[in-house]
Amino acid sequence: MERRELLKFITAATGVAFVVGDSMLSGCNTGADISVTFSDADLALLDEIGEVIIPTTTTPGAKAAEVGKFMKTMVTDCYTPIQRESFMAGIPQLKDACSQLNKKEFAACSADEKKAFLLSLEKAAKEFNAKNDESNNVARDKANAAGTAFEAAPPHYYTQIKQLTLYGYFTSEPGCTKQLRDKPIPGSYDGALPYKIGDHAFSE
Amino acid sequence: MPGDSSNVNINNKAAAQNTYDAIVIGSGISGGWAAKELCEKGLKVVMLERGEHIEHIKDYKNANKSVWEFPHRGDATQQMKADYPSLSRDYPLNEETLGMWANEKDCPYTEKKPFAWFRGYHTGGRSLLWGRQSYRWNKWDFEANGKEGIAVDWPLRYEDLAPWYSYVEKYAGIQGSKQGLDVLPDGEFLPAMEMNVAENYVAENLKKHYNGSRHLFIGRSANITKSLPENNRPNACQYRDRCWRGCPFGGYFSTQSSTLPAARKTNNLTLENNKIVTKILYDKDKKRATGVEVIDALTNQTYTYQAKIVFVCASAFNSTWVLMNSATDIWPDGLGSSCGELGHNVMDHHFKIGAGGVVEGFEDKYVYGRRPTGIYIPRYRNIYDDKRDYLRGFGYQGGGNRGRGIEVAEFTFGAELKEAQSEIGKWGFGIMGFGEVLPDHSNRIYLNKDKKDKWGLPVLEMDVEIKENEIKMRKDMMNDAQEMLTNSGLKDVNAYDYGYIFGMGIHEMGTARMGRDSKTSVLNSNNQVWEATNVFVTDGACMTSSSCVNPSLTYMALTARAAAFAVEELKKGNL
Repeated sequence: MERRELLKFITAATGVAFVVGDSMLSGCNTGADISVTFSDADLALLDEIGEVIIPTTTTPGAKAAEVGKFMKTMVTDCYTPIQRESFMAGIPQLKDACSQLNKKEFAACSADEKKAFLLSLEKAAKEFNAKNDESNNVARDKANAAGTAFEAAPPHYYTQIKQLTLYGYFTSEPGCTKQLRDKPIPGSYDGALPYKIGDHAFSE
Repeated sequence: MPGDSSNVNINNKAAAQNTYDAIVIGSGISGGWAAKELCEKGLKVVMLERGEHIEHIKDYKNANKSVWEFPHRGDATQQMKADYPSLSRDYPLNEETLGMWANEKDCPYTEKKPFAWFRGYHTGGRSLLWGRQSYRWNKWDFEANGKEGIAVDWPLRYEDLAPWYSYVEKYAGIQGSKQGLDVLPDGEFLPAMEMNVAENYVAENLKKHYNGSRHLFIGRSANITKSLPENNRPNACQYRDRCWRGCPFGGYFSTQSSTLPAARKTNNLTLENNKIVTKILYDKDKKRATGVEVIDALTNQTYTYQAKIVFVCASAFNSTWVLMNSATDIWPDGLGSSCGELGHNVMDHHFKIGAGGVVEGFEDKYVYGRRPTGIYIPRYRNIYDDKRDYLRGFGYQGGGNRGRGIEVAEFTFGAELKEAQSEIGKWGFGIMGFGEVLPDHSNRIYLNKDKKDKWGLPVLEMDVEIKENEIKMRKDMMNDAQEMLTNSGLKDVNAYDYGYIFGMGIHEMGTARMGRDSKTSVLNSNNQVWEATNVFVTDGACMTSSSCVNPSLTYMALTARAAAFAVEELKKGNL
């Protein structure tokens, strides 16, 4: 129940169902199995993007939570082949898009340039995901009618990065202990705990 | 391999040493209770467990980990899904409990129709992995088969089991609140866990709207709300909700936390791990079992154990599998098969259907602690004056909570998103129906001799499906959920059906049912196999119907009752 809720919040924040692997298609290998190699530069880039999504404030951000490394682990081990393919193809696309918009690498961009770039990705992802949802719905209906297995085409690569950033950060040690309230051994239960707006949630 | 005499390697020296008063096959909820009761009554007992040992606390390797200490934060990997194709159909496949479910490559089964079989092959079995919901059956549950002409009548009534419910509740430690309802009899409860403000709100509204005919209260569970030093349990539940990883505080009932220490304390228990019981040895002249044959899971050696009585508590299907492989020279389909019901009448609870919505208000309240139980709404269908177009009924489990994350405008990222994802949203509330499955002769399991497991043993084939009665009931389970939550003041109520595959309830029941007549049942009213009265089957296999409430507490009560009876019979010289 709790995990399902966690996934729901990520869905709410990104507008797209958060799917790691695919519980309904266990062990189903649709799509080409591509070998996955993350360079150190890739991991650094993912950390930097993550840091813009979840920045350091009075508490640590995504970089401190090593979200790049987390993405590598999840993409390599938990993603289905077609999810993985989409993610890996996204890294060079992301680099190109940044060069096109800001005429330089992401790491060399100013804070404003980074934000402008992410905003452009947010918009591109929204457009892509709307079309993707439509074609997924058609394909799902067809598969259901034919009684065949169906795996949804993954969302835009930026959506994948954003979802894994949120998931990774809020299940990381800094995310759970510094940003959220971590109570490994609550010791008791209070079903009417006083709460005021701005108080942070307890970690999972 | 067993049954192939050229391969049987009986170790005679070991055989002489392998003589006990009682053999208990399996160490789960039922096996643990059998061992405790028989040992405490002075019998020398060997408990045979097919899997590895897990020692209480010491071997709970994930018990104290934080979520970030799991590389995939608890999620299943593609490799895990490939290794556990059956388990991957549902939530039990996750990083936290990996290694605590039966290895599906070594221990396959086949599905004529889809069947999810989730097994725990280790000391404690699924007592480490259970949901801990603990409910008594009611008087109608025991009467319904007989009155409705379904399957066969139970050979016992609520009154026969009530004192045994009390007995096991007191020892296991069940928290709950007394409600005074015929439909869900009260038990010997520890102080109840608390409902939160949203749950109390829904409970009050439900009661009001349905004029006191429907009830919502805290789910009764085998989590102890106070320490039970007299039962060797020094710590109460710590509200971690990490039960499935094994509890370092012994906060919930498991073989390890509860029945095994009691059995060990007597010095009458021998626990043997990695011993797969392949058959019960049957003396056809004396019409009784003389012991069991086992194969050592690690060495493939075959051994025998001798005893005066055998308690078969290997989990429903595996208990029946043992019977099917026993005395086949007399009955080709195994010990207990002469009635034609062995392996038949498979039951589970069908579920994964219900509704959820939003509870408005209470914005100044939140929840502290992770309570390891939810709320319960007991059955109200087909009792008193209610009459539906199907038989029996269902109950709901569920709960309310405030989830993390509040709404943001689109294209939001940065500090604003970080903050929004850290605060908490509205109160959500959801319920899920758990429905009774009727016993049906055509729902059956049988040996598939074309497929063998790692040890060359035939595997089970599942030929089971839900029928018209369950399908009709599911409509009510969904519609009622939506209607009740709407009538209880929730907003944005949505019904759901996640889809149920037989077995997912992990409440396998039937296949060696109790009854009043040896011609139509495998076991008598004391769980004795009609053809071998020193063989007792007291786990889910013995169930004659399924009720809609979680079954484990009933297995505990039946096992303790049968153990007391067995010892009395031994004393009288009847066994």
